[in-house]
Amino acid sequence: MHNLWDRILRSNKEEESLSTFLQRIPVFSHLNQKDFHYIKTLIHTRTYDPGEIIFEQGDPGSGMYVIRSGHVTLFTRDSHNRREDLSVLGPGDFFGETTIATPAARVISASCNENCELLGLFRSDLFAVAERRPEIANRILLGLTSVISERLQNAILELRKHSISEESE
Amino acid sequence: MNITRSQFLFFYLVMTAALASGLAIFSSASTIALTLRSAAAGIFVPLILALATAFVLDPVVSRLEKYHIPRSRSTLAIFFLILTLLWFSGSWLVTYTQQMWISLVQDFPRYSSGLIKYVKEAQISWQEQFPFLIQYDLTEKVPTPKSALKLGSLLILVPIFAFFFIRDGANIRRNLIALAPNRYFEMAHDLSYLISRQTSRFVRGRIIEASIIGMCITAGLSLTDIRYAPLLGLFAGITNLVPYVGPLVGMIPGLTIALIDLGFGPQFWWIVILYVLISQVILDNFILIPILISRYANLHPLLVIVAIIMGGKIYGVLGMIIGVPILSACKIAFIQIRHYRRAFSLPDTGTQLPR
Repeated sequence: MHNLWDRILRSNKEEESLSTFLQRIPVFSHLNQKDFHYIKTLIHTRTYDPGEIIFEQGDPGSGMYVIRSGHVTLFTRDSHNRREDLSVLGPGDFFGETTIATPAARVISASCNENCELLGLFRSDLFAVAERRPEIANRILLGLTSVISERLQNAILELRKHSISEESE
Repeated sequence: MNITRSQFLFFYLVMTAALASGLAIFSSASTIALTLRSAAAGIFVPLILALATAFVLDPVVSRLEKYHIPRSRSTLAIFFLILTLLWFSGSWLVTYTQQMWISLVQDFPRYSSGLIKYVKEAQISWQEQFPFLIQYDLTEKVPTPKSALKLGSLLILVPIFAFFFIRDGANIRRNLIALAPNRYFEMAHDLSYLISRQTSRFVRGRIIEASIIGMCITAGLSLTDIRYAPLLGLFAGITNLVPYVGPLVGMIPGLTIALIDLGFGPQFWWIVILYVLISQVILDNFILIPILISRYANLHPLLVIVAIIMGGKIYGVLGMIIGVPILSACKIAFIQIRHYRRAFSLPDTGTQLPR
């Protein structure tokens, strides 16, 4: 009898930690506590083997991934198909967010360094939320916009620095 | 080539064993397939009807969800509302349709014999003109009405299935997609969303179109002295689900009854105009189809005929009606996949992205 009540009243530990984990991700920083309950039905949890390719340059991109555990290497391939590593991301980092709003091909490739658990948020799910719960979609998009504009700012500064150093040479 | 007796015996035994095991595998496989088919036979029709119901009701539930009403609660509320509506209108509706049905069944021999009489007259005049047609007797093949539907089980199964499709449809799709391997997951996810959205829009559009046509026919027939206007409207609405052939079949009973009861007169011509010009040409082709049905779900007439024949072969009258929408859904899926491949110009479509 005790066991039965335990099973009914038990709150799922794993799910709870999922929402606390998501709260730390900048994209979801505008969401309320209650929204995370809903977000959990949108997020796809995928597990990857070491060395497994998550996506390749030129693949149709449809969303972003958040790293829950493990490390992911982002890389490009040159015309001779040689791999050139760009950066290594760890737990809490996210990538692929540029393709979430509009369909576009991936411009970089990503692979897992070890056993990874990734959380995927995809365009079609975001569209579905926008129809059913527009206010939640709004908060996600607000977070996404701030992240993307921050990265754009950085990229512009980076480019300017680059062009100034080229001019001085 | 020398073959010893033992070698021959060995060869013989191996061949026998191979044949026997092959037969055993074949028979067990066909038995399993047969069992699966007979197990699934009763489920197909309620499943399709429940899916259609779910497609129609889904926007209403989603609208309620916008006001922070949980999905299962809003689904339950809508089902409860429909049930109460049926409950209160039931006593009136049941007796009304029952009386109409009983009198139609009584009248049916009169109408069918009248139809046969007309066909016979036409046949005699054809045969006078074209003597080689004598060997064909059309009147032998007049079908008898058969209630193919097991209405009772449908009335229980369809609401239950529809309830779970509306409440958990997205989750069912999600869990199925989650089975895809990592490398193809994104594509499968995207495509399933696009296909299910287009298909539900198409099915919803077709059902709304059919009900509007049915209501229009009912209203138009009510202006005349014809009997059974609601039943004729219902029939015209249902057959309207099948393009090209459906509207033609849908107007046969109406025109027959009009011809036999009212004779050639202004009312008969009004009914012809109602069926052909008002409901088909003006309402359906000029107003409803452009608004409700997306252009690329259109099927070639040949495909429509193939779908009707194949559907009829498998599931009888109901198969004829749902065969065409199923084929349209397949076409939508096909076109979505092609669009998707073109949008991203996947490697095997020829053009590659600069790397």
